[in-house]
Amino acid sequence: MKKPLFQNTNVMTGLFFTALALLLLFVWIPLDSDTGLIEKVRRQVAIGDALAPTVAALFLLIGGGLLMLLEGKSDTPPAIDAASVKFVARIFAMLVLSFVLMRYAGPLAVQVVNAIQGNDLEYRLLRDTAPWKWLGYVLGGTLAICGTISLTEGRFSLRALVVALLAIAAMIAIFDLPFDDLLLPPNGDL
Amino acid sequence: MMGTLDYIWLGVLAVFQGPELFSIFGLPISITLLMILCGFLLGIVVGATPGLAGPVAMAISLPILISVFGYTPDALLPVMGFLIGIMKGATIGGAVPAILFNTPGTPDAYMTTLDGYPMAQKGHAKKALRVAHFASVSGDTFSDVVLVICAPFLALLVEQYLDLPEKTALLILSLSFIAAAVGGSAAKGLISTGLGLLVAFIGTGADFYPRLSMGTEALSQGITLGPAILGVLIIGAVFHELAGQWRHRDVASRPVPQIEIGSDRLSLGDIRKLMPYIGRSAIVGTMVGALPGIGSTLAATIGYTMGQRRHEKRAKLDEPAFGEGAMEGIAATEAANSSVSGANLIPVLSLGIPGNTAAVFLILAADSIGGFNPGPSVFKFTTDAVNPELVIAFGLFTAMFVANFLNWTIGGLFMRSMGVMARVPKQLLLPVVLLLTLTAIYVQETRLEVIWFTLAFGLLGYGMRLLAISPLPFVIAFILGGKLEATARQAFDATGSDPFFLLNNPIAAAFMVLSVAIIFLASRKKPESK
Repeated sequence: MKKPLFQNTNVMTGLFFTALALLLLFVWIPLDSDTGLIEKVRRQVAIGDALAPTVAALFLLIGGGLLMLLEGKSDTPPAIDAASVKFVARIFAMLVLSFVLMRYAGPLAVQVVNAIQGNDLEYRLLRDTAPWKWLGYVLGGTLAICGTISLTEGRFSLRALVVALLAIAAMIAIFDLPFDDLLLPPNGDL
Repeated sequence: MMGTLDYIWLGVLAVFQGPELFSIFGLPISITLLMILCGFLLGIVVGATPGLAGPVAMAISLPILISVFGYTPDALLPVMGFLIGIMKGATIGGAVPAILFNTPGTPDAYMTTLDGYPMAQKGHAKKALRVAHFASVSGDTFSDVVLVICAPFLALLVEQYLDLPEKTALLILSLSFIAAAVGGSAAKGLISTGLGLLVAFIGTGADFYPRLSMGTEALSQGITLGPAILGVLIIGAVFHELAGQWRHRDVASRPVPQIEIGSDRLSLGDIRKLMPYIGRSAIVGTMVGALPGIGSTLAATIGYTMGQRRHEKRAKLDEPAFGEGAMEGIAATEAANSSVSGANLIPVLSLGIPGNTAAVFLILAADSIGGFNPGPSVFKFTTDAVNPELVIAFGLFTAMFVANFLNWTIGGLFMRSMGVMARVPKQLLLPVVLLLTLTAIYVQETRLEVIWFTLAFGLLGYGMRLLAISPLPFVIAFILGGKLEATARQAFDATGSDPFFLLNNPIAAAFMVLSVAIIFLASRKKPESK
């Protein structure tokens, strides 16, 4: 049995977007645009940078208002299952962790090798050299795929790990091997 | 001197005589033809795989294609031909698991399960697949013919009669129509549109300071198309599907029934019986598809309901009713949902307004490669010099007919062999799709920032689906936001800074009244339950 997060999601959604629209109209847009709704340039009036976001905020305001007024008493508001939201939050956190691992695994490995062998290698110079260029992608990507499968199935399985490794190998074969000009993550940043 | 026929011929030649890949018996095969074929076959595969669909395949292939073909105008037809192939293939592929396993491969194939699966249970799976294929290709071909005839005329009308204020009002009308029509709730459509516009305006503007950037470097560059569109459309959908899989993880997976495919053929008598259903559904689907934002699911529902009414009046007593394995039910549904795809390109090619996700990806491809800006300016039949954009447009039409030819010839055979795809477990497939999409975005933009943006937009997309807010108005508003602002600025300047430029002109005023009326009327309608 699903446990709803809110009793009436339409009212809550309408309220949230109305508040967001008001925040945009009275705080964010005026404080974060250099020109107003209209501006005078060399004695000519032109549309300012604040006008377009104001129109966007009005869409939100009208939408939020209509949602509260006309659909607030809907018999079938969307039910939000708190457990599902928590599950997606866990998936999201795991993906963030995977990409952090992807970002730092390569440079960290180079530092470890430097410390052990007394080399003076730089990851930046190795980012297009195998196997260094694949290290972060393989580790982070495997964690992303295997972790997502495991979270979804509620258990870790060897099958999840094999699928992840095969998928990563296939992605390297698709994106990296045939193209000299493509860089797998995170090598474009380093 | 260039005439209309010369442009059409140049478009055909651009597809058939483009860069040659190889030759068969001395006959050169252009790379564009091969790309249409590959896209078409891939489309059938992803359409037949529940959890995947055309947009996923388009999202993943686009950066690879751009890497292969580069950023030159020569890349436009092979890349867009591939995407068109996917669009066509996915449309027929969706019917395969719907008929064989009672699981629609694509959302619009849901109605196909109603008669397709009962037919399969009775041992007529092959006939059901043949009916679906025949109806789908017929509807699709009809829709493409309408596209080729209508899009240039509509574009010429727009260029001839609409000035800047009217074009601004037309964009507003399109946005409000999409907000009202998509998802069944005008209020939620407005919210989705507002969010799309807001994101489009971050970090942009005419002033030196990038507005709404909060002084941050990341936001001051603006949000690029890839992370926002793919995040909301693909990653959001993956999160939502994964949550569904997780919720039902304890339920023993439903055994996939072994269906005897059978060997029934589609006789001439069957085709004669189906044609009235296919014809009506094709017309309905094309009309629905020509309106931006209205999806093929609605067309399928209308086509099926119309077919059901006709069948109740005319069917013999020994013929199965709709919902009990009537082949007319499959034909009515498949013709309707397939005829949406061609017509959906009418607003994008003639007005530059994307009406569905496939059109969004065509715009994304055109935007990434450059040299082709879908919209009314494409259809300028210049006589003194060749308009290359018009040649590309006719090249795209040719690509659609090539894909249709493939569909008529090899589509059915390939489609019927795709039953195995429904057995791929979603919980294994979706995480791979997720990383594949993120990798595809990264290799195109090579900044880790885009991964964070895409994941954030993925959360937004998930939240929208959770609250039954359709993400399509968001995507369309995001694409049109910059164009809307630029046109409004030009119109304001051109009318001597007239603040009422949207109301002083009769056509613009009519569009504005219609925009408000559509929202008003849609709000009074009882919202659809999700």
